[in-house]
Amino acid sequence: MPMETMIKVENLGKSFKDIQVISNISFEVRKGEIMAILGPNGAGKSTTIRNIMGIMYPDEGTITFKSTNNNEIPRHKIGYLPEERGLYKNVKVMDILLYLAELKDYPLDKAKERALSYLKKFDLEGKEKVSVEELSKGMGQKVQFIASIIHEPELLILDEPFSGLDPVSQELFKKEIRNLAENGTAILLSSHQMNLVEEMADRLFMIHRGQKVIYGSMDDVKTQYANFKCTIHGKNERQTLESIADVQRVEQVDDTSVLYLSKDVEPAPWLKSLPEHLLIQELSIDRVSLHEIFIDIATDKNLLQEAGEMHA
Amino acid sequence: MKCMRNTMKVAKWEIKRNMKNKTFIIGLFLTPLLIVGFMMLGDLFGGSDDAKEELTRVFVNDQLDIFPALQETVDQAGFNWELLQTDLEESQIDEELEKSENTAYVFVDNRALEDGVVPVHTSDEISSFFMNQVQVLETPLQALTMQKLGLSDEELAAVSQGVFFEEANQQDASSPTEGETETTSGADSMEQIVPGAFAGFIMLSIVFTGMAIFQSASQEKKDKIAEIILSSLTPAELMQGKIIGYFVLGLIQSLVSVIILLPFLVWRIDIPVMEYLLVPELALLIGIAILGYLLFASVFVGVGATMADISTAGNFQGMVMMLPFLPFIFIGPVFADPEGLMAQIGTYIPFTSPGVLIMRLSILEEWPWVEIAISLAILAVSVWIFMKLAGKIFKVGILMYGKNATPGEIWKWIRA
Repeated sequence: MPMETMIKVENLGKSFKDIQVISNISFEVRKGEIMAILGPNGAGKSTTIRNIMGIMYPDEGTITFKSTNNNEIPRHKIGYLPEERGLYKNVKVMDILLYLAELKDYPLDKAKERALSYLKKFDLEGKEKVSVEELSKGMGQKVQFIASIIHEPELLILDEPFSGLDPVSQELFKKEIRNLAENGTAILLSSHQMNLVEEMADRLFMIHRGQKVIYGSMDDVKTQYANFKCTIHGKNERQTLESIADVQRVEQVDDTSVLYLSKDVEPAPWLKSLPEHLLIQELSIDRVSLHEIFIDIATDKNLLQEAGEMHA
Repeated sequence: MKCMRNTMKVAKWEIKRNMKNKTFIIGLFLTPLLIVGFMMLGDLFGGSDDAKEELTRVFVNDQLDIFPALQETVDQAGFNWELLQTDLEESQIDEELEKSENTAYVFVDNRALEDGVVPVHTSDEISSFFMNQVQVLETPLQALTMQKLGLSDEELAAVSQGVFFEEANQQDASSPTEGETETTSGADSMEQIVPGAFAGFIMLSIVFTGMAIFQSASQEKKDKIAEIILSSLTPAELMQGKIIGYFVLGLIQSLVSVIILLPFLVWRIDIPVMEYLLVPELALLIGIAILGYLLFASVFVGVGATMADISTAGNFQGMVMMLPFLPFIFIGPVFADPEGLMAQIGTYIPFTSPGVLIMRLSILEEWPWVEIAISLAILAVSVWIFMKLAGKIFKVGILMYGKNATPGEIWKWIRA
């Protein structure tokens, strides 16, 4: 059964002065899913998010929210953790949480209850009366996260939620984000930490220079874009490696060579086809990770261009 | 409706945040207490001021039976004198003066009348104004001289009326009740000055508290919470909430000041302050003060949003902060001539008009209603325009992190 669409972005475009920052951006986020929006710095992720939140206004395109007939943004149903974030310094933790809940029209008694429960969950029990300036950076991040979900949003937009977090806190955040999705919250997650995205996201939208590069479910993306690569330790001529069948590109660092293979290559027959005179001290074959796809895109390598054009 | 609700939420937050802030609370009480302190300090060091107010005992050795006329003159002049008759001779008073303070002896006899010099002996301690004040006794003495010369009552009246030069202008000429207003001007002026001074105080108090908007406007940027807040409301709601919040904080500051200062003033100043204060004119004066606040607040909140932090305010932002002090340059010209050209110019410039209007209305006997109406219209339109401009600047400025906007950039935002 298809999941209900919480937000639909269609043909979004935005320019600053004469520079087109994003163009023709279309995607949707569904109830109960974690949808990742990825891209290098300056790709247009935050601009897209700010347009969704109504902090900026798009020049082109439409953003439609579930249960709204007009283009009005149901701000009280959206939770937002921006990349540039902080809290008022000289106020108490509970005061700021209740203020942000009040801005979302959420009942204060319920907000207080939820705040105390989340503070406990994030190991901040008893900190509700502490001034924000007395919190460590990590504690502050946790309070910001609580602030973004205190009003039980239907759509949660998280822009780099893991940046600056220690591994323990990262795990805590991951667990809570998954919990929220399981309980029906639609989550739009922007992050540079590809391993976390690969682990958590159901679908992804990759953007580069303001335009769509990849859009689909994580499994599809892996099937479509994550070709095999073969890593060989041993001194070999680049020309020799490039002449092997189905090798698209070769990267060499010292005696280590990485051979990026064409799509649809069957690893076993391909391994059999390797020239006998090749020097192999070690050999491994695995799929290209999301991290590598991201780096390829960010550094304008043409690993995916062919595939992207075919399947995007 | 929703917009207003969000605005009020922000206003409530700003009020609550400040009322929980120790610095604000200390300032709230310290400001009026400092004013009281400085007034007390003035009394402590201003010994001569006290002498002026203390009763002066003036003994008259009256050889001419003119004492009742002298008493009448002194009463009319309203001096704080006790006029007494004495039989002591000039040679006998040295000892008396040595052991007394604020005491004077005046010897009115035929010799004095002939010579035209009346001997006055005073104690060491006496008001510095006394020798000027005593000259008022010249009038009854001259009248006596003329009477002795055998002038008729009519001639006497004509001579004693004297000649004086008075500045006249068109308005005065057309005013038939000039004589009446002249005689009542003393009481009238206080009746106007008290509400005017009160409104001026309220305006300064709100505007100075409102200067905190300058800092508050960049607070969201400094604390990097701008985007979180703007995900819940619009920049206009945030801006308006700040303006209303600081207006209420200014009123609280005024109220606390009034509660502390008013009893002190009533005690210190010998006029019925409350009676003069609670007049219908006060409503208009406070209305002007509020418009003045709204004008400055809109400028502060707009320009405040262009700064990364108050401590990094550039020259342009610093100059804007000085705007509320602009009316001070009109104090001299307005008090010298409240109907003059400078006063009128000040009335029509939006940034000086609240201050200048309040000053003028406090000293003018007849209010220039046409000028007031034009000035209020200019002020209201200016408030509207500056609110719109501030909204445009705030919307962009609030999201610009890390640097101050240049006047050029601000101009671009306004034109966008």
